[in-house]
Parts: sequence; structure tokens; C-alpha cells
Amino acid sequence: MFYRISGQFKTDYRSDHALFRVRQDAVLMGIILLFAWVIFPFTANEFVFQALLIPVLIYSLAALGLNILTGYAGQLSLGTGAFMGVGAYACYKLVTIFPEMNLLVAIGLSGFFAAAVGVAFGLPSLRIKGFYLAIATLAAQFFLVWLFEKWAWLYNYNASGAIQVPTIDMFGIRVAGPTASSFVQYYFVLFVVTIMTIFAINITRGHIGRTWKAVRDMDIAAELVGINLLRSKLIAFAVSSYIVGVSGALFVFLWRGAAEPNLFDIPLSFRVLFIAIIGGLGSILGNYLGAILIVALPVILNILPEMVGLEINAAVVEHLNIMIIGALIIAVLIIEPHGLARFWAIIREKLIMWPFPH
Amino acid sequence: MKTYLKTAMLGAALGLGTMVAMPAANAEDTIYAPNLSYRTGPFAATGIPLMNGQRDYIMMLNERDGGINGVKIEYDECETGYSTEKGVECYEKTKSKAVVTQPWSTGITLQVLPKTNVDKIPILAPGYGFSPMANGKVFQWAFNPPASYWDGASMMLNYVSDGDLDTLKGKKIALLHLDHPFGKEPIPLFEAMADKHGFEFLPIPVGLKEMQNQSAQWLQIRREKPDYVLMWGWGAMNAGAITEAVKTRYPMDQFIGIWWSGHDGDLKTVGDKGKGYKSISWSVPVADAPVMADIKKYVVDPGNSLMEDPADINSVFYQRGILISMILAEGIRGAQEHFDTKNVNAEQLRWGLENLKIDDDRIAELGMTGMIAPFSTSCADHTGHAGGWILEWDGSKFAPASDKLTADADAIAVLEEVKAMEYAEANKPWPINEECNM
Amino acid sequence: MEFLNNVFVAPFQDMAAAPDFFMQVVWEGLVSGVLYALIALGFVLIYKSSRIFNFAQGIMVVFAALTLVGLHEMGVPALLAVPLTLGVMFLLAVAIERVVLRPLVNQPDIILFMATIGITLFLIGFGEMIFGGENKVMITEQLGIPTGSFEFEPFGGFLLIEQKDLTAVVGAGVLVLVLLLFLNRSKMGRAIRALGDDHQAALSVGISLSTIWVLVWFIAGIIALATGIVWGARAGVSFALEVIAYKALPVLMLGGLESVTGAIVGGLAIGVLEKLFEIYWGQPLLGGNTETWFAFVFALIVLLFRPQGLFGEKIIERV
Repeated sequence: MFYRISGQFKTDYRSDHALFRVRQDAVLMGIILLFAWVIFPFTANEFVFQALLIPVLIYSLAALGLNILTGYAGQLSLGTGAFMGVGAYACYKLVTIFPEMNLLVAIGLSGFFAAAVGVAFGLPSLRIKGFYLAIATLAAQFFLVWLFEKWAWLYNYNASGAIQVPTIDMFGIRVAGPTASSFVQYYFVLFVVTIMTIFAINITRGHIGRTWKAVRDMDIAAELVGINLLRSKLIAFAVSSYIVGVSGALFVFLWRGAAEPNLFDIPLSFRVLFIAIIGGLGSILGNYLGAILIVALPVILNILPEMVGLEINAAVVEHLNIMIIGALIIAVLIIEPHGLARFWAIIREKLIMWPFPH
Repeated sequence: MKTYLKTAMLGAALGLGTMVAMPAANAEDTIYAPNLSYRTGPFAATGIPLMNGQRDYIMMLNERDGGINGVKIEYDECETGYSTEKGVECYEKTKSKAVVTQPWSTGITLQVLPKTNVDKIPILAPGYGFSPMANGKVFQWAFNPPASYWDGASMMLNYVSDGDLDTLKGKKIALLHLDHPFGKEPIPLFEAMADKHGFEFLPIPVGLKEMQNQSAQWLQIRREKPDYVLMWGWGAMNAGAITEAVKTRYPMDQFIGIWWSGHDGDLKTVGDKGKGYKSISWSVPVADAPVMADIKKYVVDPGNSLMEDPADINSVFYQRGILISMILAEGIRGAQEHFDTKNVNAEQLRWGLENLKIDDDRIAELGMTGMIAPFSTSCADHTGHAGGWILEWDGSKFAPASDKLTADADAIAVLEEVKAMEYAEANKPWPINEECNM
Repeated sequence: MEFLNNVFVAPFQDMAAAPDFFMQVVWEGLVSGVLYALIALGFVLIYKSSRIFNFAQGIMVVFAALTLVGLHEMGVPALLAVPLTLGVMFLLAVAIERVVLRPLVNQPDIILFMATIGITLFLIGFGEMIFGGENKVMITEQLGIPTGSFEFEPFGGFLLIEQKDLTAVVGAGVLVLVLLLFLNRSKMGRAIRALGDDHQAALSVGISLSTIWVLVWFIAGIIALATGIVWGARAGVSFALEVIAYKALPVLMLGGLESVTGAIVGGLAIGVLEKLFEIYWGQPLLGGNTETWFAFVFALIVLLFRPQGLFGEKIIERV
């Protein structure tokens, strides 16, 4: 009824391959963008910005990067956290060496460092496959975090070994540092995430995206039909690490404000992996749904007992929290292994049929 | 069936996603003092007794005196599991009504530090955090009384050299430390002292993943044969190090830990073999102190404490937790009296923490004689630089094994100034309290 | 020139100069290697029979050790606590099979892998809630494990071998032998291997999938308990122990995901090599603490030459 697609005819191939083949999809997208760009920022308070909105965006971007590698190109990676770290440290060095540099440019450039490191660690993917590759990406994870700890040049030799985000202005507006307002930071992050998402949608729908899917489904077969495996896999590593690196720079500069090396350790990688898998591998939308679930859930679980008026010891809440997240991951996997994105697909399907199901 | 489940799941997810809940409003006649606790995670072993002590002292004040000057203190824990991410979330969640932030981890402290300048909430980090925080001109909102890590390091050196650092010339001192901002904290001071007094300084890092597997580090110690091993350990690392030290036959009397490495629970795992192990401490457990009797009477005996074993009441960490809450309570009391108000806010508490006067008389009034050394803070000195004692493990408990030690104030002051300025420079524009005379 | 000397000559001179110390390093490496091998063995068994990459093996170690210590604290005699703990591990295996694995039959590998991470998180929360976060002492003496040490003086030096480490090595050896006998000689063992070779063929000759899965997870639980006792005796029992699961991963890469022999050889090799690298190269040249990544990088390099690990089954790809 509301999602009626009858009467929307397609008369050429172009419209059949359009991004929004159904008008309602475009309307829905518009509403979501309206919420993200206008309604949320003007209604949220500091806590909502810092604990929900900004982290959801940054984590979805990181998951998007991982999803390109794992969901589209089929290369399981457990080193996302470290690649985020490369982006963050590269951005830190750029900003401290060239204080005049525009932060947007610095973040854009720092992604290239992450991409270069990603390609270097992606090289073995030609010979190593499946779980062996996953463990191999752990080599990147552990080695890079160790390097962040030991290479004092990276954190400008300061005593604590952590990086602190300096105060940065852009066009006269304070965007990073302790005095920047969450409102500005939210728009900055939203802008970058929107651009990256458009880029990701286009690349995955185009020629490169199709070669990735072929490689994912069976790489030998893909090679036989003439796809250059080396190129395809390395592009996947580069694009994925670029996006992950940018998200890492955003993570530290626009949200956390400071970072010590072990922030980028394996729990961060797993967190991003959860988001990508719960959201749905091989889907762009899924990253956002997954991030909303994984970021918002603990926050809400922490607040919930207080709201209901239950006096539960903080430690017990935290234990329950971990248990619930673990159980939830298992539950989602059992009910719908293709993740939340598939949920939406099913609901959309039902809405189209409604009120006359078969 | 399966599709219903799916719809239900999605509904639940959407419901949770859209529900943006805010912390409930508070009664107005209490002072809200949150604590970013870590009773879970790999460091929980050290966290639990500290948090219990902090909580029980506030509970005792509320029970015995009806709070501080008639205002009850609302002690609230926000669990971080020692994760920086959760810590920042807790800070954001509590900051609207909190009068203080107790961040507990060096990582969280580093992240919260710049924000407190803007939000105007004092950080109270007793015995941890960032040593240059002593400089109140640069770190207006941060307090780490009664002693910083550099104080601890200097006291250790004074102890091993019997007060004359030049006797260390030509000796080798190893620092076994966690490879983490916390563990790296004393390195600048040790390096400066090594240059000045001619001893050899050897840092030995222990990775977060290697805390319970330190055989490589102890093999290095066996190879290098340092004259002293000083330890900056936390959580599970302490027990691991002491077990390895016993195994390598490293002489226990040359092995000294920082105050966070002097946890009864860690030493119980080695028992008698750990006899002679020492730890520097700014707090001393006193079993028969009047304050402990009150805590027993008002909190432990009625069953309101979270302590699992009542015998832990005399452990070093539980009593240190009590002292930490005492410092906060004294700050609140000072602010109440100075501003002549009952409900102090965060800015007034900042004044209170900057003007702490914990002298011998006050300590006696509090019923804490012998538990802590007297100190006072000022705008130039946010640490207080109180002295400390060496505690020695006798096989079943820690007992004081030295006279009161003090740190080398001059050497530390120089370094504090340099590092604080470096910090302000790297984070400019950083607000500096110009009214403050150093 | 000096750099080359530091990398290629000086470390070997050090080794030769203090042979007693060198022997101690190798021994320490061997002991850690045995532990890595044990954890890797748990992984291998489960992977072999069900193609599940069981990330929860690490937390199972912690869980088993905590249950043992917890039961003992409640007043259960040590020797009775061991079978009781095994009972708990059996229930855990049944629960995991029933709740998690059965609904996920036939899903892609990565989904099952994620599910085991879910199990890990659940067990962390559950375990901490029940047992608390304190560091606990392993009941080494109560279990009858000797705690003294042997001292030798080779080459006029000093070599110390702890009896409990020796017990660990011997115990692990016996455990592996029993396991190999079980896998190769018993009916159940053959069924496990059959399932590993070909799921469908095994099912069609009447091997029950769920029975075997419970059995395999239970065996992994037994191995977890053994690992927990040994490691706990060295460093106490706490949740920080969970990270040792990561140490087993490069062992799997090196030895091959399906090979029991690979897990043992790989574990010992990595244990010794990472210790040697850390002591003779890592600490003098790289600022130490290289153990966090050395094993991974080493395994990665080996894998470039043998993509299926040293003992893994050759991967044959067909279109």
C-alpha cells in the first residue's frame, strides 16, 4: 500500500540500473538524510552526540571499509583496528608537521598511508586464503600496535606515549580539540561519511565491484574468466584500508581527542567485525544498522536499570552487558546469518506485498 | 515461526535504537560524586578492593554524620572495565551533574584532561594519572594528591641508596614496567636521575598480552643482573612478576614495586616465597585506626559493604580506597566552609581540592593516624608531595618496613615544569592560570 | 657494518658465551611452547571435525581453571573437584552444541567463527559474574603437582627447572599420546576423523553429528582444563589469561589447521623461537616486547612458502 511499486515502469536499461529503482526507496532515503542532516543535530544534546551519533557514524565508516574487503572481495581481515591506527597516527603526524594544513585534507591524505600499509599486508592474500589469511592479518594487527608503542617519532616523543589532538580551526571554525563543539564535529564526520558512502556505493556497483564479487565467490574461477586476481585483491585491500584509515583519523581527531596505542588493539578490530557481520556482509546499509545496534546497545543497557529505578551494582550491569552482547551476536547469526540488512530486505518485501500477501 | 522471530527482533532493535534515554534527575540535596570504576576486565583484581574502600568510606560518612556538613554524598559507580572508550562514555554521562571525575586509568585521564578545562570539572586522580599534573598553573582542573609517580620513583631511589643518591654510581637499576602510558610514566624521572647520579637505567617493558607470561623479561633480568628491580605493574602483571622473581631466584629485598604493585591479593598467590618483597606506598593499613572501627560498625557489620571477605578490611588497597575518598571528602568540606554553602558545585570543589590542608591534627581528627602522611595542596602544587613508606610482605600481609621517606622535591619540580609546559605547548591554545604564583 | 654485526654475529656470540643461560632460554621457550601446543590442539580438534574455527578455546581455558579453583574454594576436595569440573565442561559442550551449533549447521565458516566469538563474550560475562574478577591461586599442591625445582650446573653455570613445568611437559605429552590413541584406535576417534574428512559421507554411514560434536567440544574442554591447570600454576588464574588464545593462532598457521602433529611441532617451534628472538634480538635491538608479534610474522613468512602450513592438508582447488 505505502510501498506500492506497480505502475512504476522502466522503459530502458538505464532506469533498470538506477540506484533507486523504486520511488519509495528514494523518498525513504531522503527522510533518513533529513534526519541525519537536520533533525538529529538540532535536537541532540552533548551526551547523545558523544555517546551515540558521532560514534555510530565513525564505526559505520570503519565497518564499511572492512565490508568492502570481507563482504565484497571475500578476504577475511582481523586487523581493522591497526589500520585505523595507521590512519590516526598518519593524521597526527601530518597535522603536527604541517599545522597549517586543512584538517579535511589531512584526514583525506592519512587514508593513503593506511592504504599503503594495507596493500603491503594484503600481498600475502594471493597465496594464503581463508582462516590462514585471517590469522595473517593478525600479524599486521599485533605488529602495528607494537610499532605505535615503540616508534617514538610517531607520537612526537612525548612522555606518555599517547597522542593528543591539538586544537585545529578550519575556515575560522574550531573542528578538533577539546574546545570544539560536538555540533560542528558531528557535521564534519557526517560530511566525510556521506562522501565515503557515495564513493563506496559507486565503486561496489561498478566494474571493480563486480570483479570483487567474482573473486569472493570463487577466485580460481574468476581468474579463469580473465580477472587479474592480484590487481583485484590489492585494489580491495587499498580501498578498504583507505576507508578504514580515514575512519581511524576521524575516530581520534573528531571523537576521542587522545589515543594510546592499545586503543587500536584487537578488541577494536573485533568490534568493527561484529558491526560488519551483524549488519550484513556485502551490504552498505548493513554497516549503519550494525553500528547502531553495537554502539547504542551498551549505552542503553547501562542507562536502562537506572531509568526503571533498579539499583544494580555497576559491575553486574557490565557483566550482564557483555553476556547480552555475546548472546545477541549468536541470536542474530542463528536467526538471520545475513545480518540486519537482510531484515530490512524482508520487511521491504513484505511492505510491497501488504496488505495482500500470497 | 522464523519470520515472526525476525520481525520481533527487528522491532526490538528499532525500539532500542530510537530510545534515547537520559540519566534520571537527582534529588537536589545531595552531592553527586561518580567514580569510573573497574570491577571487571583484566585489571579487576586491583580495582575491586580500591572501589570497595572508596564506596565504604562515603557510605560510612553518610551513615555516621549524615554526609558532609549535613549533605549526603551520592556515590555512583560507572563501570569502565579499564577501557578508555567506556571511560569517556561514563564521563559524558555523568558530567552534567558531577562535581568530580575520578578517571582511574591513565588512558582515560589523558582523554578527559583537555575536556575538563571546558566542562569545568576537577579530575581527582590520587596517586595516579600524569605526574606533571602537580603544576596547577597548567593543569588547573587536575589533582593527583598525595603523591605522583615521580614522587614514588624518587622515594624508591632514596630508599635503595639510603638517602645518598651518589652511592648508586655505577649500579644498574631496572624498571620492569607495563608497556602502556601508566608504565612509561616514571621513565623521564629515572632518566634524569640516572644522568645526574651516574647509575645505569634499564627499562624492561611488559606487553599487555604478556602480563602473565613474563619469562622473557625475567630472563633478561637474569642476564643483565641489575642491582635493583623497580616495578610499575598493574593488575595481573604483579602476580606474574613476583612468581617469576621467585623462580629466577632474584633477591626479593632488591625488588620494589610502586604502590599499585603492593596488593595483598597478588602476593597471596606466592605466599611465603614472596617474603621480603617491598612496595613503596603513600598509605599504610592500620588495623586499629578509629576510622576503621567506624567503617566496620556502620558499613561492614550491617552487611552494606561489597567486600566478599571481611578480613580484607585490613588490606592495603581497601584502606587506600578509604583514603582516596577521604581526600575527596576533605575537598568538599573545605569548599563548603570557604564558600559557605552546603551544595558545592564542581568549580567550588576545585577550590577545595586546591586548598587541602591535611596536617597531623586533621589526620588524627579523621581517625587516620599513621595511615597517610600529612600534606597540603596549593595552586602551584596540585600533588602535595606527601611522603610514603616502604611496605614489606611478611608472607601473609604487608607491614611498614621503613621510616617515612620523602621525594627529591627539587629534581621533580624542574621536570614537572618542563613537561607541563611541553604539554601546554603541544596542545595550544591551552588555558594557563596566570593568577597562580609558582 | 656494526648493524650487520649486531644482527648476525653478536647474538650468536652471546649464546656461545653463556651456554647455561642459552639452555635456560630454550627450556623456558619449550615450556611456553607446550602450552601453546595444548591450546592449539583444542582448536585443531574442533576444526578437524566440524570446520569451526573455535575462538572460544581461550576463554574455555579460563573458565575451566576458574571452575576448578571455585569448586575448591567452596570446600570440595581437590581430587573430587577435577571430575566435577570435567562434568561442568561436559555440560558446557552439550549446551554449546544444542544452543549454538545445531541451528548453525551448514552456515559459512565465518558465521560459525563469529558465533564462537559470541560464546567467548558470553562466557567472559558469565564467568566474571560467578567467580569475580580477582586473581586466584591455582590449587597446585592440592592436586599433587610437585612445586620444587631441580638445579643443574652445566658449564659451570646455572640452570633451573621447575618441577611443575616438568610435570606440565610430561602431562601434556601423556595427554597427547592418549588423544592420538583415542583418535586412531577407538571407534569414536575414527568417527571424528571420518567426519573431518567428509561430512556427508560420514553422516550417510550413520555417524551422529551431534554426538560427535558434543564429544569433540568435551575433549576440547578437557584440554582446556589441562592448559588451565598448567598455566594457572605458573601465573595464577584470572581473566587476563584469556589472551593466551591469541598465542595459539600463529601455531595453527604454522602447523596447519587440521594437523595434531602440526599443533605440537608448531607450538614447540614457536615457543622456543620467539623466546630466542626476544632475548637475543628483540631486547637488545628493538626495545623488547617482540613476543606479541614475532610468532605471527614468522608464521606469515613460512606460510608464503607453504600456504597450508607445515603439516596442513594440501589445498586442492577445483572450479
